[in-house]
Amino acid sequence: MSDLMGIAVVTLMIWVGLFGYVYRLDRKLSRLED
Amino acid sequence: MRVAEISKLTLLVWLAAVIVAAFFYVHAAEGFIGESSRIVFFHVPMAWIAVLAFLVSCITSVMYLRRRDPRDDIRASVSAGLGLLFAVLATTTGAVFAKIMWGAYWNWDPRQTSITILLLIYAAYLALRGAVDDPERRASLSAVYAILAFVTVPFLVFVVPRIYWSLHPDTIINTRGANEFDSRYTQVLLASVLGFTGLYVWLYTIGCRIETIRQRRRQEVLDV
Amino acid sequence: MWRWLSEALAVAAKDLRTEFRTRVALNSLGLFALTVLAAVSYTVGPYRIAVEDRPFLLAVLLWIIVFFAALAGLDRSFVKEEESHTAPLLRLAASPAAVWFGKLVYNLCLIYALMAMLVPLYCILMGYKIVLLPAFVVILVLGGFTLAVVTTIIAAIIARAMTRGALFSVLSLPLLLPLMIFLIQGTTGASEGNAETVTNTIRAVLSMGGIMTIVSAVLFPVVWNE
Repeated sequence: MSDLMGIAVVTLMIWVGLFGYVYRLDRKLSRLED
Repeated sequence: MRVAEISKLTLLVWLAAVIVAAFFYVHAAEGFIGESSRIVFFHVPMAWIAVLAFLVSCITSVMYLRRRDPRDDIRASVSAGLGLLFAVLATTTGAVFAKIMWGAYWNWDPRQTSITILLLIYAAYLALRGAVDDPERRASLSAVYAILAFVTVPFLVFVVPRIYWSLHPDTIINTRGANEFDSRYTQVLLASVLGFTGLYVWLYTIGCRIETIRQRRRQEVLDV
Repeated sequence: MWRWLSEALAVAAKDLRTEFRTRVALNSLGLFALTVLAAVSYTVGPYRIAVEDRPFLLAVLLWIIVFFAALAGLDRSFVKEEESHTAPLLRLAASPAAVWFGKLVYNLCLIYALMAMLVPLYCILMGYKIVLLPAFVVILVLGGFTLAVVTTIIAAIIARAMTRGALFSVLSLPLLLPLMIFLIQGTTGASEGNAETVTNTIRAVLSMGGIMTIVSAVLFPVVWNE
């Protein structure tokens, strides 16, 4: 069961990390466009 | 833009919830080895988004050929790139799934073959774009290719698997055939597809904005 | 309506006449096919493959030779117009639809000539037994047609892209892979005598060929007038 927990946590981390990266990119773009 | 901010946050929470649900809310499905059925929650939406992205690329290519708006060309190339990205992700998750289910990462079963061909087709699209210098010519030629490319997609997605099956019946188990999913499974799968669609839309708009700025910069350099 | 057709046939006739004189494409296609056939026949031969695997493996080898020979020679139709700078003249002389159809007929002649030479030779040298012979011929005809349709439009695209060579294969081959899969399956079926497989294949190739023909006919003017 802890294996599953591990994979779940990693996946979650990947997603949150990815989201953060794209969000920052989004912000930067908005600043460039204005 | 409060609406935009809220929707992005919703996306974050939505897909996070999908991930949690995929691992803890749903029970491992029957007919699958171990917990491998959970991969499906990511693999299927990725494949679906890849096809959606290629469809968008085809449609915007048609629009480009009709009204010659350079923004349509941007949309077509961005969507094709995203389609390629999601296709690669789908292939990778599919290979992991294949390893668990059938012992090998790659055995050229019909769907693996189809997705490989798709990767080759759209990689060729990018190669074509790289080979033409003149922007208008590049846009028209790639638009034509994007349309031709998408014509093969229905054959790859629907016809090839059925034909391949009769050639190598021992290597394939049709995972779509395992349709006795409980309702939780379908709920999470649908939620995942929705979430990934949202992610695609977001990435698509960002890609278009990046490309637009890039082209504007290039234009400014030329004007000076 | 008939003017369009006569223009197209004139384009095809001109290309075929030039080809007959210089034999560039015929050499690329023919020599490639014969060389590979000789190599395969020598190394694999009629005896090396187990009898139960023959229908499938020999189908695979046959279509690989045909497809790669086609990729070696079929881009000539448009590339030589660009090279000899006759393309603008052709644009003035004939309508895009006529040019497309004329070039298609030219490529069809090349492909069918290749098949006429290669296929009997292949079956003899490799000991390939075909049970459903008429079906096999139909598969060859339809397959060759679809192959010609796709390579014609791609050749037109790369001729405008100014970088020749590898790009033609890079663009054509992925689009042609589904077709190859169908053709291999159908040829296997024809060799084994499996009528159902053959009918499925013919249906699939017919629909793919039909759609590709319509789409390329519609899109060709865009490429040609770029």
